[in-house]
Amino acid sequence: MKILDICDLSVTFSTPVGDVFAVNNTSFSLNENETLALVGETGCGKSVIANSIIRLLPQNAKVTGSILFKGIDLLKVSESELEKIRQQEISIIFQNPSLSLNPLYTVGSQIIEPLIIHKKMSKQNSIDKAIQLLKTMGFSNPSKAYGMYPYQLSGGMNQRILLSIAMTLNPSIIIADEPTKGLDNELVRDIIDEFNTVKRVNNSSIILITHDLSVARELSDRIAIMYSGEIIEIGETKKFFKKPLHPYSQALLNSLPEKGFIAPNGTSPSMINVPRGCKFHPRCPYKKQECSKKIPLFYSYDDRSVRCYLFQ
Amino acid sequence: MTHHLEEMKKYVIEKTNLNFVGISLFLVFLILSLFAEFISPYSPWDRFEPYSSPSATHILGTNDIGNDILSELIYGTRVSLIVGFGASMIATLLGIIIGLLSGYYRGLTDEILMAITDIFLMIPRIPLIIILAALLRPSFWIIMLLIGFLWWPTTARVVRSSTLQLRDASFVLSSKSIGFSDNKILLSDILPNIVYVIIPKFMLTIASAMFSEASISFLGLGDPSMKSWGMMLNFAFMKGGLINEMWWWYLPPGFCIVAVVFSLMLIGFSLEEKENIVMGLE
Amino acid sequence: MSEKRRTSIFHKINSRDSMKINLKKVGRYLAAIFIIFSLNFFIPRFMPGDPVTNLLGEDVIITEEALHELKAKMGLDKPLYFQYLDYWNNVFHFDFGYSYHFKGTVTSILLSRIKWTLLLLIPSIFLSAIFGSLFGSLSGWKSSKVSSKSLTLIELAFYSTPTFFLSLLTLYIFSFKLGLFPIKGFYNSGGILDILHHFFLPVCIMTLFLTSRNYMIMRGSVIQEKSKLYVVYAKAKGLSENQVLFRHIFKNASLPLLTLLALDFGFILSGALFIEIIFSMNGMGNLIYEAILSRDYPILYGSFMIISIMVIFANAFVDIIYSLIDPRIGDR
Repeated sequence: MKILDICDLSVTFSTPVGDVFAVNNTSFSLNENETLALVGETGCGKSVIANSIIRLLPQNAKVTGSILFKGIDLLKVSESELEKIRQQEISIIFQNPSLSLNPLYTVGSQIIEPLIIHKKMSKQNSIDKAIQLLKTMGFSNPSKAYGMYPYQLSGGMNQRILLSIAMTLNPSIIIADEPTKGLDNELVRDIIDEFNTVKRVNNSSIILITHDLSVARELSDRIAIMYSGEIIEIGETKKFFKKPLHPYSQALLNSLPEKGFIAPNGTSPSMINVPRGCKFHPRCPYKKQECSKKIPLFYSYDDRSVRCYLFQ
Repeated sequence: MTHHLEEMKKYVIEKTNLNFVGISLFLVFLILSLFAEFISPYSPWDRFEPYSSPSATHILGTNDIGNDILSELIYGTRVSLIVGFGASMIATLLGIIIGLLSGYYRGLTDEILMAITDIFLMIPRIPLIIILAALLRPSFWIIMLLIGFLWWPTTARVVRSSTLQLRDASFVLSSKSIGFSDNKILLSDILPNIVYVIIPKFMLTIASAMFSEASISFLGLGDPSMKSWGMMLNFAFMKGGLINEMWWWYLPPGFCIVAVVFSLMLIGFSLEEKENIVMGLE
Repeated sequence: MSEKRRTSIFHKINSRDSMKINLKKVGRYLAAIFIIFSLNFFIPRFMPGDPVTNLLGEDVIITEEALHELKAKMGLDKPLYFQYLDYWNNVFHFDFGYSYHFKGTVTSILLSRIKWTLLLLIPSIFLSAIFGSLFGSLSGWKSSKVSSKSLTLIELAFYSTPTFFLSLLTLYIFSFKLGLFPIKGFYNSGGILDILHHFFLPVCIMTLFLTSRNYMIMRGSVIQEKSKLYVVYAKAKGLSENQVLFRHIFKNASLPLLTLLALDFGFILSGALFIEIIFSMNGMGNLIYEAILSRDYPILYGSFMIISIMVIFANAFVDIIYSLIDPRIGDR
């Protein structure tokens, strides 16, 4: 059952150097209890989508389209309504966990904050719950961890604090923006474990934004590949890794260590001077005449969708 | 109709540049100080009937020894501005030198210079100047020096933090590897890039210096041969201006002080805001 | 298991650093006190003019013989080193000399006057802290609104006004013209209401002056903080605008305010002194003014020292509060 339905979402930033087309006519949906991985290079628009869902884009952003959450259009709803949805229904973990936390408060007090404000829980109850969460998240001395300040903890630990906060109110959707960015392998392993715990303990759907394919492979049920502001392939994770469809997806997989680190040719296109037609066509080894003319629609193949004329 | 008015209001608000207002206001005073001889009706030293109220011949009346107050006011612009500007130049120069050395060389130099800066900051400046002025009965120039020698710490701090940020920048490192001397690096690599933090501080220091000079002169410790606005206020207060409700004597100099300081703050403030610096007020 | 190890290391580093930093700070304070007191010793002896006059003041009328006796008593014929040690000895006995103009020991005179200055300062600092930080943060939060910009201009105008002029203006309007408040002195009958009546205008002016300062700093500070990630994250946690402002930004933004409060305490004190002069109140301000007029140097030196001590105390106090709020007690 669909819990989130994003339709024709476009986000444009007006900057002094011109309009930046960060997200172009993107549509996808998220089902209950499923983990969707949103994969792509840095700057392809993944975080922008995440921030649009909870409407926390900067002032110069222009958003069109619709984001339906349980039937409500998040882009049209009032600010006070949205404040009820944030954290309680949809929670997010930002890319930089250490900077997301307020340096002057203990991590524990930041975990109980949503409980006190939204659920009006008593302080003692919320502290208990927080300590429980910390234990679930792998802190061996949760009471001690509660009283720590963000600067005393490593990035990985703060990441887990954010994860705890995201879980406090049992939201329907957890959006995790690059949870394993910059962490070494051992820590990535830890984070994957925590996410598996989350999936086991909560019933949340997860949108996992990452550029790390192995993490996406381990944790997600479905995977969506983004390129230059558009989703170019979306489908079941297992099927994807067995046989990637879009030429860009294939290039991505080829760049994995086990396949030989072969990087795709060329560089990502400008987000201001956008190429005509399929955004990938300048670098595509299979390009045809029509690729440079019009943006391909989604074509179905094996229960998956691809934006490529090869599958017309 | 109301929508139109709203749009117009928004436009005016956006276009009214604070910087511009500040600069124009300051220019008024600058012009007054430069062309005092042409603008002022009399010389501030000419004597007329003392204690006279405003009239056609003396728009702001006369003071206790018969000088025309309006003329005093206009010439006073020059005195006050020179003190402020001069003191600020000294303070800023000292601040730049100390800040650069401290931020660039770090280590022991930094520790010592910063300790000196911290201690200087804890010395109450106006009371110290009061003591020195009471003992020395200083001339206008000495007062300028005194203020200048006490007002460098905030500039030094700001210069130091900018220098700290810049010293590890790639272009500085490349200059070092080429073999440029430290002096050359400081002067041609780092200094030009910190001008943008120095200028607002310079403006704010002028404001602060003028403010302080006015305060000290008001206490009677200024240079009586130089008619600064603070001195005018001193005489107004001491010679019965307040008791006798001679508002034309004590209000105009005060408002002038407010206006100049305000305009300088506007300039400094709007420049600082552009660079996102928290107001470092003195 | 690896976490426990990691966190204990963090704790050790934290306490080691904070010990080092506290010692540094205490050292600076002691050095400042030492330098200021030494300045007080050297200035009268090295400034132009007769050191006796410089030390005693110009209002002193005594015979030649008495002068000689005094010179000997003050140790002016002894070598400098001796005089310096003597001076410090006096300091530790709280002996700051004698005022010929006011006819009393400097210490007793200062102590009798300082309470009135404190009576002016303390309510003003307290009120202005509340008003300034409140309005400053609201204004900084909504900094693009017209109301924010206009209020800022008004506050800036107040900040540009020297306290003595603001006092003159207020005195003119409220006391001379409107006759609402008394013109001179600090009490007539000595009753509480009477004192309040006399203190009302000065406290208002001091509060206005300090509020404008606090407003500016808080506003700038909030503007800086509101673009930081933890603010966006607080919003993402479903907090309302007010909750984000007062639960998160406020604490973080008040840190620069604290720092600048300490830094500018001398300036704040000086402002209070000028208000006292205009309103002819019986605090330190008027004391200093009279001392200037009669060139009573001992009072001036004593005032300088007591003001310096207050500044240093204020600095130390703020340092302590700062370290309580900010757990990262790192380098400035």
